[in-house]
Amino acid sequence: MTHIRAKQWLFWLWLLGALALLVATGALFIGPSGIPLGKIFQALWNRQGGIEQSIVWNIRLPRLLLGFAIGGALSLAGVILQGMFRNPLVEPYTLGISGGAAVGVSLSILLGLSRLSIFSLPLAGFLGACAMILLLYSLNAKKKVLSLQGLLLTGVMINFIASSLIMLFLALSRSEDLQGIIFWIMGSLDEPNGFLIQIALVASLIFLFITYFFHSDLNALALGEEEALHLGVSVERTKGLLFIITSLLIGVSVAVAGMIGFVGLVVPHFMRKIVGHDHRILLVASFLAGGIFLVFCDTIARTVIAPLELPVGVITGILGGSLFVWVLTRKGGGTV
Amino acid sequence: MKRGIGVAVCVWGLLISGAGFSEEAFPQRIVSLSPVVTEELFLLDRGDFLVGRTRFCTKPPEALKKEEVGNILEVSVEKIVALRPDLVLAGSMTDPKAKAKLQQLGVRVEVFPAADDFNGVCESFLRLGRMVDREKEAEAMVTVARGKVEALRSRIPEGKRPAVFLQVGVDPLVTMTGGSFFNDLIEFAGGVNVARDARSRIYSREKVIADDPDVIIVSGMGFVTGLENEKEKKVWQGYRDLKAAKNGTIYAVDSDLYCAPTPISFVNALQNMIRLLHPHDAH
Repeated sequence: MTHIRAKQWLFWLWLLGALALLVATGALFIGPSGIPLGKIFQALWNRQGGIEQSIVWNIRLPRLLLGFAIGGALSLAGVILQGMFRNPLVEPYTLGISGGAAVGVSLSILLGLSRLSIFSLPLAGFLGACAMILLLYSLNAKKKVLSLQGLLLTGVMINFIASSLIMLFLALSRSEDLQGIIFWIMGSLDEPNGFLIQIALVASLIFLFITYFFHSDLNALALGEEEALHLGVSVERTKGLLFIITSLLIGVSVAVAGMIGFVGLVVPHFMRKIVGHDHRILLVASFLAGGIFLVFCDTIARTVIAPLELPVGVITGILGGSLFVWVLTRKGGGTV
Repeated sequence: MKRGIGVAVCVWGLLISGAGFSEEAFPQRIVSLSPVVTEELFLLDRGDFLVGRTRFCTKPPEALKKEEVGNILEVSVEKIVALRPDLVLAGSMTDPKAKAKLQQLGVRVEVFPAADDFNGVCESFLRLGRMVDREKEAEAMVTVARGKVEALRSRIPEGKRPAVFLQVGVDPLVTMTGGSFFNDLIEFAGGVNVARDARSRIYSREKVIADDPDVIIVSGMGFVTGLENEKEKKVWQGYRDLKAAKNGTIYAVDSDLYCAPTPISFVNALQNMIRLLHPHDAH
């Protein structure tokens, strides 16, 4: 039995790996400037300079890498949160952490801090997210027990407060600042700073590695907190750690790429349908699928009405949402 | 023979230095991400050097022939780079990330922020002129425009200055405060902008009714169509007690005329504004 399952898992991993390669190739070869394929091959193999090389190596590749990092991070966070909360509607943006990041970014734009350095915007976003993590944790951890229900409710409320605050900032801001805030909220993988892309990539891989150690705890938690306790999981410690890890993951990805919706909600559901509920495979599969999904959506966003670039959230929303509804309403697909 | 070679070398030297000079010093492949700048490039007779523009750069009609690289908010960095520009002229609405990315790729990016007043409009035009080797032409045009503005102002009748409310956005109600060329437009035309000292450009309808301006001008900016201007005009006419409604001084003005002015279109806009504010004094 376990042997067969291992074989199945290996098959899924191979398939996802192949899909990732396919999508990556597509993202490198397709773009609004319409460079012929031959020239792209040349630019990829012999790096002798020129416009094609600059486009492939400095524009398309960084975007591809960031897409994998952010997509992976968001759906990894989604899988953990949905498993931990045992609630299919929880996603990375539910808990108010992204709201905190958005408030941080808007404030730094409004106060003119964003002009100081190229890092001040992502830093402000990350600090906002961290402040929100602390707030949420301190509000809901009483007598060493972290109340998940409380976390969820306060998180949702804080998200509402944050979005109202942003509306307030938008109403007060000058038109140039307005653009900055709106651009950030729309979310984009077009990040000029290579260092930030590296941070996102390294952070998401490290967090994938760390969370993998929690796979059996997550499997136990999926049965319920009490059951997990009986199975020998130190429930409170696990919940606290997982909450902080996912929050940091969300903080980093929101700080670098802004808000890109639907990845963290849809991909975990989809993967649970395909590879099953066991977190041993689910974590890795969701990470890969999230990356694939986001890079695929970004390729569409870049090219579908070129030279205009759509915000990638438009595509993730339309594509992810319809895919999700289709899967849920298919015959026998009613359960999550 | 020797002299012949000497002359040839001299001529050749002159040729390369000349060619090198014009290629290095002044940009030959320009991408403009701001409609005003595009229009001004054509005014300066440098439209030939324009290789890319935004979807909203529709003036003059020749601009439409140029390659499109995006709209004002969203531009495709890849598309711009593929055009191999030696100068990208960005506006204040251009995505900061796109600007940073272009600079990182070694493309020269110059930002032309929206001008705050008529003087700013002229200064930005002169700056563009210097950038594309048309400094003298730009100066001449600005001198003419300034002269015309002065002449128009001097002919404005003395006496009561009408209070003006200028609406540029519908939902929310947006006006233009002091420190904008709209404010200059109103003041140069002998009016007083009721929102001059307002802190925010978002204004309340109630406040307009309390201000009871002599003239209300609706000129929606950006994506607002003429139809919406007319609709908004009807809304204001519905407030029967307003002075402007009683006197029939509520106007819907083609948004192209007022927004994003070059020094030359500013003169046209001013003429139009003077006609609206002083209908009885024929110019």
